[in-house]
Amino acid sequence: ATHLNESDKTLRDFSEALDMWTAFQTKTHSLSLSLSSQLRLILTPSQSTKLSGSFRTGKRLNIKKIIPYIASSYKRDKIWMRRSIPSKRSYQILLCVDDSSSMGDNSSSSGRLALESLVMVARALTMLEVGQVGVMGFGSDVFVAHELTAPLFASHDAGARMLQHFTFRQEMTDMCRLLRNTIDHFRDARLMQTGSSGGEDLWQLALILSDGLVQSKDHARLRPLLREAMEQRVMVVFIVMDDAAQNKKGHSVLELKEARFGSDGMPVIHRYLDSFPFPYYLIVHHLEDLPGALAALLRTWFAEVTA
Amino acid sequence: MEQPTDAEPSVQVKVTFTTIEEDIQLPETKRQLLVPADIGRHGLSRILNSESMLDTASIPFDFLVNGSFLRTNLQEYLETNGLSHESNVTLQYVRSLIPPKYEASF
Ligand SMILES: [Mg+2]
Repeated sequence: ATHLNESDKTLRDFSEALDMWTAFQTKTHSLSLSLSSQLRLILTPSQSTKLSGSFRTGKRLNIKKIIPYIASSYKRDKIWMRRSIPSKRSYQILLCVDDSSSMGDNSSSSGRLALESLVMVARALTMLEVGQVGVMGFGSDVFVAHELTAPLFASHDAGARMLQHFTFRQEMTDMCRLLRNTIDHFRDARLMQTGSSGGEDLWQLALILSDGLVQSKDHARLRPLLREAMEQRVMVVFIVMDDAAQNKKGHSVLELKEARFGSDGMPVIHRYLDSFPFPYYLIVHHLEDLPGALAALLRTWFAEVTA
Repeated sequence: MEQPTDAEPSVQVKVTFTTIEEDIQLPETKRQLLVPADIGRHGLSRILNSESMLDTASIPFDFLVNGSFLRTNLQEYLETNGLSHESNVTLQYVRSLIPPKYEASF
């Protein structure tokens, strides 16, 4: 079951959150437009690849119609197939933001970059109107900051209420719990959706915005969850916030190493990202990189799954 | 216990190494590291001395955290100071003040 514990959470002051939403929206407006137009090309199918139907003219002969065509003395002449009208796709997109204190630590500006990215992406998806958009936060616990079924972020109020939830004070980064919750949340949401509209082609996508710091011992525990997500046809993209403007040289997660002791007591040092279990991840050093990088990743993924 | 093995991976803490001693500076790309939380100064010394870090083999180090010497393991330091595993601990390393004679038999 989804565990949503709100009782012990202190929210950010509403007027402060409103100022943040307004400032981030202004700052990222052109990036939102850019992401929105790039995603429109990727997420909305403009041509169907499948040939079907029976027409007098078309692209390819429908072999099954040939014998009736001859048998009818060439009267039943709708023997051609055409490209059919693309099926309408709909999306459920969950933006999952790391609310753990490593994001807001004094030595890190990942939290701010994550919130700017969140506002930019949420606004782009609102302009796109391809389906439902929800926002979740995670740390030691998982919470919903904006329900999938709630209206999109058309007003500053809705945006500010969502931002209020992120204070970066959670004292753990439980990525396993986030994935468990995300999979369950999407399973319920799919049932709700197919119950109401049906027929439509439903795609589910989770974007995780985080500094990427997960306990290495959890990397192995995440793999079966990622497989389960894939089996449920949930696409998970991990966006690593790695602020190049604020981080001092040598502080990038790309250079982060980890030390372990072997059974002989000797330290062994590995690159942290070498055991990172997410198959689809991208690293964002500057906010301006995000629209292009995210679009490229989704384009590759769609090409793979629709091939 | 200061030597967790691969069989039982322990909780990690992110540390940043700094020093004011010119001759034992780490390159910038090696200053931040995830280490087992149950590590103390001996384990940290071994890491710093290792080939992939300073490659100095046997300098005993002491570690200053927030102005005082680290006398416990990192886990205990965090607990005493009400800090979580999300913290980034800055460790200033200095050559240990143990006399050289003693050091030789280390
Ligand atoms: Mg964290």
